[in-house]
Amino acid sequence: MPANQFLDISLTGSVTVVPPNVRSIEEDVDLFGGNIRQIERLKKTLGLNERRIASSNITSLDLCEQAVQVLLDQLNIKSSDVDGILFVTQTPDHSQPSNASLLHGRLGCDTNCAALDVGLGCSGFVYALWLAYSIIANGSSQRVLLLAGDTLSRLVHPKDRATASLFGDAGSATMIEKREGAGVSWFRLGTDGRGSNSLIVPAGGARLPLSQETAEEYTDDDGNIRTKENLFMDGSEVFNFSIEVIPQEIKALLEYAGASKDTVDYFVLHQANRYMVHNIGKRLKVGLDRCPVDSFGAFGNVSSASIPGALAYELADQLSGKCKNKSSHQVVFSGFGVGLSWGSCLLTVPELDCLEWRVYEA
Amino acid sequence: MQIKIFLQQLEESLEGLDSGTVSETTVFKELKEWDSLAILTLTDTIDLEYGVLLKKAEIESCETAQSLFDLVQSKV
Repeated sequence: MPANQFLDISLTGSVTVVPPNVRSIEEDVDLFGGNIRQIERLKKTLGLNERRIASSNITSLDLCEQAVQVLLDQLNIKSSDVDGILFVTQTPDHSQPSNASLLHGRLGCDTNCAALDVGLGCSGFVYALWLAYSIIANGSSQRVLLLAGDTLSRLVHPKDRATASLFGDAGSATMIEKREGAGVSWFRLGTDGRGSNSLIVPAGGARLPLSQETAEEYTDDDGNIRTKENLFMDGSEVFNFSIEVIPQEIKALLEYAGASKDTVDYFVLHQANRYMVHNIGKRLKVGLDRCPVDSFGAFGNVSSASIPGALAYELADQLSGKCKNKSSHQVVFSGFGVGLSWGSCLLTVPELDCLEWRVYEA
Repeated sequence: MQIKIFLQQLEESLEGLDSGTVSETTVFKELKEWDSLAILTLTDTIDLEYGVLLKKAEIESCETAQSLFDLVQSKV
């Protein structure tokens, strides 16, 4: 079991950028056969409301680049002072080279810099955080830039009710640095590849290259339409996995850290949907005031950007010292999804000089 | 497990049903909002109340509330 602890490394700031185009669930009424009552049920139960959609000329690289520029500016760090770049995405600009290399070039970073992509979705932010802490702890890097972004709206079929209204687009940039006195951070990670078929884009890789056949639409048993080039999600399998595994994982993390759930200020869970976050919170017996979920109704499920997005959308005042209640906070992050894959961590988050979200400017 | 309490829990879980509309012989497919969202909320309720996590196909294999009750009881 990959479980690690790190001393004196800290997340020091984070910015999330979303595209300007807002799509509301009400606009999807045709997808649900004109059934307004169904829209109301989805709003009430899953918390579907608004999501952000990138226009075709904006990629996750563009969203993340703008997030980095704000972050570096606010933290007063030069791009040449960054010596590690980790880019979490499943919607890179190209199959090669990596988004991390492309961003390195755009920022004009020093060549003494390690840069790589992390091919994960909703668990990816925590995984890349663990990598960032690892390469700082082993002395490879001093200052790591973690980008997490996807444009999943382009992968869903507009007539697939299981996914079309759920996913939004966003990009985030988070800084991780060595920081004396930061204390101990704790991580736990896991994978269950037997569930790999429950969230998958079947075509477009080496196994099944794009072709006329992969572009053909098919209708599934529930009447949803998609092609093999679209993201398929077995919602009930993913839901069951999440409520079965994640509460246990978070409990095991706290046990490993010798911490109590009562001393944790916030549980920032992947913003899969409101129902999922509430139900994990219920199983942890943690009040929903400590499990932020409002960003889901504003951005949609934004894959690996959802944890930094939730931090910026809902906890900016608390964690950047505008609410002068504490100089630092104990925060749990937990990401889970495609793989199937999951990661959780318990961090001491200091007063952040930069925590915000912005709308992308062309 | 008591069937009366179980039926009440089903009713509360399935949104928009009047009290007393779910009985042992209720056929799920005849409920007006029996869909994947309903199955999701039902999965959640049964897991929280009885610690039994059912797959979607298992719930779909139960025609009536009584058969779902029997299935859950066999797994408690």
